[in-house]
Amino acid sequence: MESELIIKNLHANIEGKPILRGVDLVVKKGEVHALMGPNGSGKSTLANVVMGNPKYEVTDGEIWFKGENILEYSPDRRARMRLFLAFQYPMSIPGVSVANFLRRSLEAVREGNKPLEEGENPTGKAAKRRSIPPGEFRKLLQDKMRLLKVDNSFINRSINDGFSGGEKKRAEILQMALLEPEISLMDETDSGLDIDALKIVSESVNALRGPNLGILLITHYQRMLNYITPDYVHVMFDGRIVKSGGPELAFELEDKGYEWLKPTDEENGVVVNG
Amino acid sequence: MANNFPTGFSRGAVEELSRLKNEPAWMLQKRLQAWDSYEQTPFPLGRRGDLGTLRIFSNFKFQQLSPYVAASSDDTLSAPIAQSLQEGLVDQRSGLFVQDNASVLRTELSEELKSKGVILTGLDSAVRDYPKLVQQYFMTECIPVASSKYTALHAAFWSGGVFLYIPKGVDIEDPILAQIWLSAPASAIFAHTLIIAEELSSVRYVEEHNSSFAGEQPSLFSSVVEVYVKNAAHVEFSNMQDLGPNVWTITNKNAVHEKDGSTTWVLADLGSHAMLSYIGVGLLGNGSAGELVGVFFTDHDQRYSINTLSDHAATATNAETLVKGVLTGESRVEFDGMIRVRPHAQQTASFLSDHTLLLSDSCRAESIPGLEIGANEVSASHGATTGKIDEEQLFYLMVRGIAREEAERIIVQGFFEPVLQRIPLENLRARLRRSIVRRMGQGYESETDTWIDAQERWEVEGVDEYAVSLNSPKEDEEIQLAEY
Repeated sequence: MESELIIKNLHANIEGKPILRGVDLVVKKGEVHALMGPNGSGKSTLANVVMGNPKYEVTDGEIWFKGENILEYSPDRRARMRLFLAFQYPMSIPGVSVANFLRRSLEAVREGNKPLEEGENPTGKAAKRRSIPPGEFRKLLQDKMRLLKVDNSFINRSINDGFSGGEKKRAEILQMALLEPEISLMDETDSGLDIDALKIVSESVNALRGPNLGILLITHYQRMLNYITPDYVHVMFDGRIVKSGGPELAFELEDKGYEWLKPTDEENGVVVNG
Repeated sequence: MANNFPTGFSRGAVEELSRLKNEPAWMLQKRLQAWDSYEQTPFPLGRRGDLGTLRIFSNFKFQQLSPYVAASSDDTLSAPIAQSLQEGLVDQRSGLFVQDNASVLRTELSEELKSKGVILTGLDSAVRDYPKLVQQYFMTECIPVASSKYTALHAAFWSGGVFLYIPKGVDIEDPILAQIWLSAPASAIFAHTLIIAEELSSVRYVEEHNSSFAGEQPSLFSSVVEVYVKNAAHVEFSNMQDLGPNVWTITNKNAVHEKDGSTTWVLADLGSHAMLSYIGVGLLGNGSAGELVGVFFTDHDQRYSINTLSDHAATATNAETLVKGVLTGESRVEFDGMIRVRPHAQQTASFLSDHTLLLSDSCRAESIPGLEIGANEVSASHGATTGKIDEEQLFYLMVRGIAREEAERIIVQGFFEPVLQRIPLENLRARLRRSIVRRMGQGYESETDTWIDAQERWEVEGVDEYAVSLNSPKEDEEIQLAEY
């Protein structure tokens, strides 16, 4: 099955307030898309809705991944289909070590796209799960850590607990490297990073970039795109994608800002991603 | 069960029990006075509007219980006991005590400790062999008979029991394990533990409370633990309560300290249908210190009431209480934590915190931390948080492929982990993790092991030992008192 993420006419609310108002977007494996736009335009909402965050209510539209409409799937099932979200604000989970969590996460993702009954409602009896031998896991993790130049002490700490902004973002990318998604949504991965951290994070993303990974890079600023050259750039405004283009669009935005793209009326504001 | 003892509690039953044990007159007198005190004391009923644990105990049908059940045989251990001993502290223990119902089945102590003058025996035997010590220490200063209606009932009907005496200067590094089993329905067990740690001595002691009978007919597990900590002695007392859902439990624990003495209480209360727990540190000597680390897990219609007291009655004493628990089902938990600083108890430092996590909509927790400050040079604080699992934390884990139920378990494990890290005995820690995962429902077979291995294996640098903050809705109350 072709690993395509297809978003069609997606509408979503939070607490009754419409945020997404008809998003159309296709991300294929091997492509890097940058999604830009001013604050509040709905970029992060889109990432959350694609992953199934229950805070948001989808009121219209469809999300297809690998040929399945995943709208009714739970977030964990979407993840097991190898859809990934690098969070803008990763949650800290005190008392759970990174190593412990990543091992379980990897075991889960390797189980793949299981039907709802098995994946979400353990039947009451202890279910068998293919566990990854500790030695194998440790080696795998250490390979990825070396690739991303992540310090060893990381793995013994509680997930994101007491991490600096930069450490949190690097931990997200480490997870992405380990879980090997087919499509990854990266939500403001550049925010809160100083220039050195931004370089490291961008290098990591470039190291993972390849024919087996599609990336939707959500960013408010153009600066990350100095390091990661996208194949496509989209601009979001008021819950819709209003302009799409090649990498040059990002530079245009840097010069002209977002205002010129502000849709003047409902009709001509919509530009479907090509 | 060889049991001809009549059902129900009465003065006659007290006399019968004492005669059966062939006790000296002074113990019979003590029992009878206790019985009078029991009869004269009304049932404690709690406050209006509390969650009602005391009231349901007052309605418990005590008179349908048999107050004395001897074990069926004096020597063989039943299958569940034998099994559990296999798991518990096998290699590293220096002593073993097993009580099944009213009968003491095992008392073993290493030759080395015997030669140093350590005494580990049943309290029944101690009444005969060490009458002076028992007269001096048994339910006198530490937990007086008339402390409550239930301690009075306990004093009237106690049976079996642990007597542990550590002479001056003796250190007991490898723990002594005591297991107390309740294995008969419709019965009551009155297990008593008396520990005397002489000057400069130290001991690690683990007591486990288990039950092994089936059926709906409830039994009562009454436990009184008295610890005397002499000058600069240290006692580490760990208690794991894993009783069945047909058991009602009342426990009173207290440690009294002379100068520079210290105690660490470790509590894990997991089972029992209803439990009333009182636990205290009496800091009577200058420079003495008490620490209490507790975890609990309640489910179904469990009732749990825990009442802690840090009683500061001398100069420069310290106490720290940390209790963490998780509720599911329709369980109810009441936490009442008191810091009492008596007049003239200057230079006191006392801290108390209680954190609960609610996993269901129908469970309820009530937390009442209290401060009574009679001195003016005091540093004391208490904090309590009660909250549900944060949906955003759950979403985060689910986005990493982990199903909701397992994600909840992971967050609960993380919630407990900082407290578990403070439990000194590794074996106990591991068993606790296992029990918690088991109680959280049907996890994956490998899940417990994943938690345990992962924690142990990566424990090179430790896992954020003091990570207490939970990013969930919380009500925080912090009161700092210094010189007012």
